[in-house]
Amino acid sequence: MLTHWISEVSTRFNPFSASAKTARLFLTRLPPGARASGMNITTQLLPRASTEPSSLFIKFKDGHEMKLDCDTMNIKGVVEVVERHTRQLQKQADLE
Amino acid sequence: MPLRVRCPAVRGLGSALNGARTPVRSAAVLLPPNPKVSTARQYATAVAAVPSNLRVPHDYIPPTSPPTARPADTRKSQLLRTYTSLLRSTPLMLIFQHNNLTAVEWAAIRRELRAALADVPQSGTEAVDISSTIHIEVIRTRMFDMALKIVEYFDPSKVKPTLATTLTGRKVKTVYNHDLSEAAYESVRAAMKSNKVEPDSSAYSQLSPLLVGPLAVVTFPVVSPAHLAAALKVLSPSPPAFPAPTRKKRPSYHEPIAQSGLQKLLLVGGRVEGKVFDIDGMKWVGGIESGLEGLRAQLVHMLQSAGLGLTSTLEGAGKSLWLTMESRRSVLEEAEKGPQEGEKTES
Repeated sequence: MLTHWISEVSTRFNPFSASAKTARLFLTRLPPGARASGMNITTQLLPRASTEPSSLFIKFKDGHEMKLDCDTMNIKGVVEVVERHTRQLQKQADLE
Repeated sequence: MPLRVRCPAVRGLGSALNGARTPVRSAAVLLPPNPKVSTARQYATAVAAVPSNLRVPHDYIPPTSPPTARPADTRKSQLLRTYTSLLRSTPLMLIFQHNNLTAVEWAAIRRELRAALADVPQSGTEAVDISSTIHIEVIRTRMFDMALKIVEYFDPSKVKPTLATTLTGRKVKTVYNHDLSEAAYESVRAAMKSNKVEPDSSAYSQLSPLLVGPLAVVTFPVVSPAHLAAALKVLSPSPPAFPAPTRKKRPSYHEPIAQSGLQKLLLVGGRVEGKVFDIDGMKWVGGIESGLEGLRAQLVHMLQSAGLGLTSTLEGAGKSLWLTMESRRSVLEEAEKGPQEGEKTES
């Protein structure tokens, strides 16, 4: 995953719900120096009783925003969707 | 070592010694059962007779290597045993998700945690200082999950004994109830089948959604709210109740390495004496003032005040009755006196 093109990641989940898995695993995919290189990562943990669905919001450096549904998508699907966009950005940058 | 053959002179000594020490089972095999051989001092023939006597029973199971359902000599199995013993011996546990921390960040976090725990004042009831035994430890999530299943669903005291052959060929009742045993494996499997029918029925099924991705646990050997609060202040500070150490007090806590490590550490839940708590629950446990003693004092106070209330209530009925009767008596007395006094005034 070309995390270089991501400028903001914000997640919101209840760790006790099964749908939090995707959001949590996405956080582990970000490199160790992500915050140092300017990526803005925010995580909000919901209380245990909350039934709010898990959310994953990603903003790219070109201003494109993605709001991914963690209930239906697994981590593979999320990575695929993110990669599709970052590959485009990388291609444009290479052509310029 | 040469074989020792029993002879009359030695036997006398041996019988004297036998009372003092317990007989070794392997010695019984080594000793030839035929008394004729023992009386004759024929060392060469005795050695020739050994192979038939030394044969180990074909179904002999050494007590040091009991039968296991999982291969006992693999690293994973030993890790599983480590985790089951950790789960059984740790009443208080914080579960963190760690997202790609570097080694220097881990070192910084461990240093800060150690410093914060060392500052916790030792309470009077605890004989030993536990702060040196509280660690943050990275775990293998899947193995930890398996260990948690074993701890939750397997009761070693309920395993029925089986017959095992000893070196002498005798059958002895033996219980194989270790964590890698067939019994443990089967009980976990049966529990998981019934768990599909009935989710959220046990502590395991509540905790299992947390066991995803890379995890680290902070383990406490006793439920000590003061130590828990110190750990929470360092690892997951939340300003009003659990403020982070100040820049003046711990400058190293505010160094970029420690801070970037802490940003990647995410408290997801905890386990207190087998019960599962979320972050707010852990904060509540950490916020118990003056530990278990404080709770006990509160309870005693509550019971005392309840007793006081009860006695005053019971007294109250008698008192009010007495008061009513008294007032009635005084009224009656006044009524008796009243007319006379009235007559007097009239006359």
